[in-house]
Amino acid sequence: MQSYLYFPGCSLRTVARDFEDSALASARALGLELKEMQGWLCCGAVFPNVADNVMTNAGPNRILARARAESDTLVTLCAGCHNVLKRANIQAGRNLIKQEQINEFNEEEYKGGLGVLHFLEVLRDRVGFSVIKEATRVPLQDLPVGAYYGCLLLRPFEEMKLDDPHRPSVLEDLLASIGCSPVDYPSRTECCGSFLGVGAPDAMILLSRNVVQSARSYGAKLLAVSCPLCKYNLETSQKQDLAASSGSQPLPVVYFTQLLGLALGVSPQDLRLSQAQLETIRGDMRNTIESVSRP
Amino acid sequence: MKRVGVFVCHCGLNIAGTVNVKEVTDLASKTPDVVIAADHRYLCSEPGQALIKDSIKQHRLDAVVIAACSPAMHEVTFRNAARAAGLNRHQCEIANIREQCSWVHDNIEKATEKANVIIRQSIEKVSLNEPLDPITVPVTRRALVVGGGIAGIRAALDVANSGHQVYLVEKTGSIGGRMAQLSETFPTLDCSICILGPLMVEAYRNPNIKILRLSEVEDVKGFVGNFKVKVRQQPIYVKETECNSCGECVKVCPAEVPNEFDSGLTWRKAIYIPFAQAVPPAYVLDAKSCLGLLPQACGECKKACDKLGMSCINLDARPETHELEVGAIISATGYELYDATRLTEYGYGIYPDVMTSLEFERMLSASGPTSGVIRRPSDGRIPKEVVFIQCAGQREPETALAYCSKICCMYTARHAMLFHHKVPDGQAYVFYMDIRAGGKGYEEFVKRCQEERGLLYLRGRVAKVYEDSNRLVVKGVDTLSGKTVEINADVVVLAVGMVPSQGSRELANILKASVDENGFFAEAHPKLRPLESATAGIFLAGAGQAPKDIPDTVAQASGAASKALNLLSSPTLEREPTVAQIVNELCSGCGICVSACPFEALSLNRERKIAEVAEALCEGCGTCVASCPSGALSLRNLTDTQIVAMIRAGRY
Amino acid sequence: MSEPRILAFLCKWCAYAGADLAGTTRKHYDPNLISIRVTCSGRIDPSFVLKALEEGYDGILIAGCHPGTCHYINGNYKALRRFTLLRKLLKQIGIPDERVRLEWISASESDKFVTVVNDMIEKLRKLEPMAPVQQLTRTR
Repeated sequence: MQSYLYFPGCSLRTVARDFEDSALASARALGLELKEMQGWLCCGAVFPNVADNVMTNAGPNRILARARAESDTLVTLCAGCHNVLKRANIQAGRNLIKQEQINEFNEEEYKGGLGVLHFLEVLRDRVGFSVIKEATRVPLQDLPVGAYYGCLLLRPFEEMKLDDPHRPSVLEDLLASIGCSPVDYPSRTECCGSFLGVGAPDAMILLSRNVVQSARSYGAKLLAVSCPLCKYNLETSQKQDLAASSGSQPLPVVYFTQLLGLALGVSPQDLRLSQAQLETIRGDMRNTIESVSRP
Repeated sequence: MKRVGVFVCHCGLNIAGTVNVKEVTDLASKTPDVVIAADHRYLCSEPGQALIKDSIKQHRLDAVVIAACSPAMHEVTFRNAARAAGLNRHQCEIANIREQCSWVHDNIEKATEKANVIIRQSIEKVSLNEPLDPITVPVTRRALVVGGGIAGIRAALDVANSGHQVYLVEKTGSIGGRMAQLSETFPTLDCSICILGPLMVEAYRNPNIKILRLSEVEDVKGFVGNFKVKVRQQPIYVKETECNSCGECVKVCPAEVPNEFDSGLTWRKAIYIPFAQAVPPAYVLDAKSCLGLLPQACGECKKACDKLGMSCINLDARPETHELEVGAIISATGYELYDATRLTEYGYGIYPDVMTSLEFERMLSASGPTSGVIRRPSDGRIPKEVVFIQCAGQREPETALAYCSKICCMYTARHAMLFHHKVPDGQAYVFYMDIRAGGKGYEEFVKRCQEERGLLYLRGRVAKVYEDSNRLVVKGVDTLSGKTVEINADVVVLAVGMVPSQGSRELANILKASVDENGFFAEAHPKLRPLESATAGIFLAGAGQAPKDIPDTVAQASGAASKALNLLSSPTLEREPTVAQIVNELCSGCGICVSACPFEALSLNRERKIAEVAEALCEGCGTCVASCPSGALSLRNLTDTQIVAMIRAGRY
Repeated sequence: MSEPRILAFLCKWCAYAGADLAGTTRKHYDPNLISIRVTCSGRIDPSFVLKALEEGYDGILIAGCHPGTCHYINGNYKALRRFTLLRKLLKQIGIPDERVRLEWISASESDKFVTVVNDMIEKLRKLEPMAPVQQLTRTR
């Protein structure tokens, strides 16, 4: 079984158990093991990249050093954690003076040699979408899904280099390989509002609402994301709207790993899919899912 | 043993005020090899120079040391005086006892002591100086211009009209370049081909200009004044002297490819005329798009031509290599546009209604794909809402070009204004970051465009262009109002950046001229020498050196021509003789010097396995000398021996 | 304690002109420095520096054009490379960094020239004078 060292991050252990559980289950179904790294800590959640400050990078560097002790590759799931760790890794190789300061401060020194990958990269480049297509046991019958990338997976392109920053396709390709019908809508790479939900919720709602409306108007029945904060914002912005226009159906937001797991035959319970989410996905697929799902 | 004369200048009190001139002169006269030492109040004056000249003759001096102001001031003056008295110019050295002695020190005793030391150094140097004469090289009084756009045409005309022969080498089938593709030019709105055409014809008719179309420079050997150039010309299937542009061949040709002149918006046949006003006025057979010539697969064009009794077409034509000898080369290779498919945010290449500025230009042109009517490429309808995006893929160091292409603000204003003129009920939007309108009449032109036609200028960038129910949506921002903006557009025009023409880098290698980090030909000095490359004899004109508009291009072309004419004005060329020289016996052929030289003046002779100096190219910097591990290289009149002698003499 | 003696290699296009300008503007520095005008800082063979030290100079200054402005395009880059290696060699034979310096001085930077010279003199005054090697081993 191919094993990858894996960084969960705070959200996945608390509010986003569904993301982690579905990811681990999908990985298992594909014959991969995501092995949790030792001694992980909070990555700093975007702030390490914001300020030109040595201290904010101490945490990510500790993570990189500890991961490096176990492996030469670290896989992340949360887009925020991925952005922080990937960029901290690149900066460690570029700004040697700052790196020296950080290494002096930390107990563990990070000297490079670690590759930070997002789970999507593992699926695309190491496993291969054709393999996933072969492994699909419950095709999702052209479910019109809007893949939502948000910002952190793709930008700044010069460092992230996961996919084209304006017209990416990795999520759509993955969703297509498990039988979905991904919807190309304009706002799929636009910001959900990120932490503005805390300080300026109106702005966040404006941004997230824009994404949801865009996806909906192009025919998406649900959104697939890779970030707990994106999910929170996209759902919250809809609650406000629904309160105003009662009666309309919200656009469910799921993690891409939940759809992946479902397609690979993992049970909806193991994937922590809610009733509402399941119903949107199933539509008239009720029988197929119930009969083929694995314990 | 040289008979040396030392002359010490008082320079009024400038030197004498701090340096005891009498003492210095006295000590100098007692130095070995010094036959005479004299002082004078102002050596640079007529009497002062007379003293020097008379002393040279009277005392049969072999060399002189002038202890006075900096060599930067009067080295030439005193060297000329020495020569007038029968000495070689290099037998005169200047000891700087003013700027670097009397003027910066105040202790008389110490300043005097230092002056003595400085003079001693100069005596050591001049004792070892060789008498040198300027290096004379013959000049081939012909020029080569590479590139037949407006820059190349202007340069060629200027050189030709001064009585020298010029070869004008052009890659495509016709001269004219980008300017021929333009509809109008800012700020006058002159019809571009109307003002260019006469110049093209003039170049064609000028007996001193030989146009080599469908040609590229393959190899350049030699040095300034003496270049040997190999130009490879594609097979000329259609004889230009015979062809009368009847066009019968085109009618029967079965092969069709995108038309480069129309930026790919239309099709042309494999046999075609580049554009209606092409010069030379002849058709071209493009072997790559022809169904086949070896063996002949079609031959319909020839049949049609022969049937008319014309027989201009020779399908058995072969490529030809021309060997040219010229004294000066002007590079005028021009530009092309940055590949807009790389700007994924705008969707060029995905949405047919997103165009580049050059494509829009062709559409504006009366001779263009739509005879000057603006239509949407997707469905041919007349667009009502057109969005122009300036700085597309420019001024963006992280993702695209870092620089500004200088002309886009101007032509976008013209485009938007002309669009309104043709579609009076349409609306043009221009997204801009800044408006750069620095030329003569430019600012007024932009203002006129903005005010007259109700163009909407939005200061902000465009984040994305996407499609929504058969229209394009342009999502941008208007920073002056602080709002994001979404415009439903029928057509989007991208002002993409100018990049050096394809093949520029290869040509630069062949010419041994350098390019900058963006691939443009590098000028010798960005401020003071913008018309020449660092390689002697290679001059630069037009957008191949840096993005620029037509007036600047024409000015630079005439300037480059004048530089070339400078070179061609006399049958010989004089270069400074203080160049590098090689002692062959000591050279091991390691080649380190070859890579050290910034001027390509050194090369390895593969048969003899030693390095050789092209004296005409050597600028005399001495970098090679310091890099030579075996001491085979030395710099004339600044040898290691001389420097060591000066080091030792400098001890107090 | 005798005064330190400095030998300066000044490139004719930039540093020498800068030194001249110091004179034209009547700036002041002590007469410890003697200069040699070279075409380019790239002309300087590291052995000149060693020779100068051997001859008893207490300090050597190499001054050329700022990177990117060399009259001969990139002679100064080569000077920099050689100087970097020379520094390492000098360290190995126990010559302190203060004795050999590389500076970029443009034709207009007369102030910089004076500051560098005065600074060098100050620092060298604190060091032992270089005993001329010739007194010990004369081979020529």
